[in-house]
Amino acid sequence: MSSEDRFRRLYAANVEALLAFAVRRVEQPADAADVVAETFLVAWRRSDDLPPDDEIKLWLYGVARRVLANHHRGGARRERLGERLRQRLSTVSPDPGADVPQRVVVRAALNRLPAADREILMLTVWEGLQPREVAEVIGASAVVVRARLSRARRRMRDLLGHDPGTPGHVLDVLTVTAPEEGR
Amino acid sequence: MTDEQLDRLVRDADPVPRALAARLGGAEQTLLEEIMSTPRLDTAGSDRPRRGRWQGVAGAAAAAAVVAGIFAASTLLLRHDPAGTMTEPAAAPSAAAPSEAATIAPEVEGDYPRLLIDEPGWTATYVHGFTGENGDVSFRKGGREIGMTWYQDELYQSYYDDRLDVSKPETTTVAGTPASIVTYSDNDFAAMLRPHDGVFVELRTSAAKPGADTWTRASFDRFLTRVVRADQQSFLAAMPSKIVTPAEVQDEARKLLAGVPLPPGFAVSSLPEAGAHDPYQFGALVSGRVACGWISEWVRADKAGDDSARRAATEALRGSRDWKMLKDMAGEGAYPQALFEITAKVVAGKVPAGYEAGLGC
Repeated sequence: MSSEDRFRRLYAANVEALLAFAVRRVEQPADAADVVAETFLVAWRRSDDLPPDDEIKLWLYGVARRVLANHHRGGARRERLGERLRQRLSTVSPDPGADVPQRVVVRAALNRLPAADREILMLTVWEGLQPREVAEVIGASAVVVRARLSRARRRMRDLLGHDPGTPGHVLDVLTVTAPEEGR
Repeated sequence: MTDEQLDRLVRDADPVPRALAARLGGAEQTLLEEIMSTPRLDTAGSDRPRRGRWQGVAGAAAAAAVVAGIFAASTLLLRHDPAGTMTEPAAAPSAAAPSEAATIAPEVEGDYPRLLIDEPGWTATYVHGFTGENGDVSFRKGGREIGMTWYQDELYQSYYDDRLDVSKPETTTVAGTPASIVTYSDNDFAAMLRPHDGVFVELRTSAAKPGADTWTRASFDRFLTRVVRADQQSFLAAMPSKIVTPAEVQDEARKLLAGVPLPPGFAVSSLPEAGAHDPYQFGALVSGRVACGWISEWVRADKAGDDSARRAATEALRGSRDWKMLKDMAGEGAYPQALFEITAKVVAGKVPAGYEAGLGC
């Protein structure tokens, strides 16, 4: 298989996951197009030299994290690619119910976690990664990931209340809690 | 709530629209062709992105995030006096004279026993809570980190029972209190102290970065001999100068609020003076209270048909993007972004449900 064919296959297998990864981490969904475009551009330019198939998704997440860091710093894109994807994403409306109070509250609670803890919880739950995989993506040890994951869940329980499925309780708890945010 | 139930709640809050790929109309395929139409690197002689190498790339990004997330630490045992100057460490944190401590932190709620580390070089890198029984603090020295978490005493048995699944507990004494050590791995340990004066505390090791100075059982045992008891006020007084302690709340809040329009009825004196806040947490507290006040005013004015007041509230909320405290926080976490999202919706005429929780009103 040529490197071009392999790149097409890897792209098809991973673009949706990378798009979701990016949408979860940018303010405007359309900005996810830039992140995905830049990430796969890096992969394309190194397509003769990519990690093995079983490592490629984690490698792409790692690249995307770097691209995102640049995005959040306001870094300029190197290429103007993905304009059509950007337009499509800007017209994709959120699911009905995305703003139901419970989801809003959970996302607000996530935003209050320390940034590193939040990322580990997101990679675990939203990207579905195991601690050793999270460790590879963020460049930490699995021991650190497990400890921080445990802390993140504990903080989430503190913020959301310990009784599942009672958003009213959640709002009460959060209303009387001093705002706290992770770094 | 179990881990599984919590994870389900978080999973349900995933902001990604369902079946996203199917709604792209082939735009992702267009992107693929665009990418493949660009030149590739000349890979001759390039260094292959082997496992270790790309870990380094991702690790650099992660390290940047972590570094951005910690406040500049000063020596743990330095005290922050009311005049704002740093003084020499107390001989032992627990030895601070009660009368002196009282002038440092007169508004502390409760006086629960806390712990400090009587050894040079440990710095607090994360502080949360301490408004009552609960609190979280992490200390770092070199590549080693130790987290201390305080809980209400009534939760002790459930946490103890949970740790029985980790390893067989070994008894020891920490700061004069009986404790149980459990072993997660050869370089990961925890010690849970028995309840004392309404709280109990668990100490858990972690590595500040992979590889360096990992914990061993011997180093953990040595460390535990340096842990000393402190009262709440001495504990807060031992935090680095950037941590906002109760006596500093009003002065620090006034600094943050310079140039920020304040909603009707807002008073700096109404801010809670309890616990400990690192600068990011404190910025969230202050900016959140101001935004809450303006949204509340917007709602009132809207209901009352008070167009002038509604316009004033709208302008104030629109101006939140210029608040310096939020700009200063922007590189460290997502609170400013969450606040901007909410205020933008109000400016557009729609108060989002659950905004109180998002802002911590």
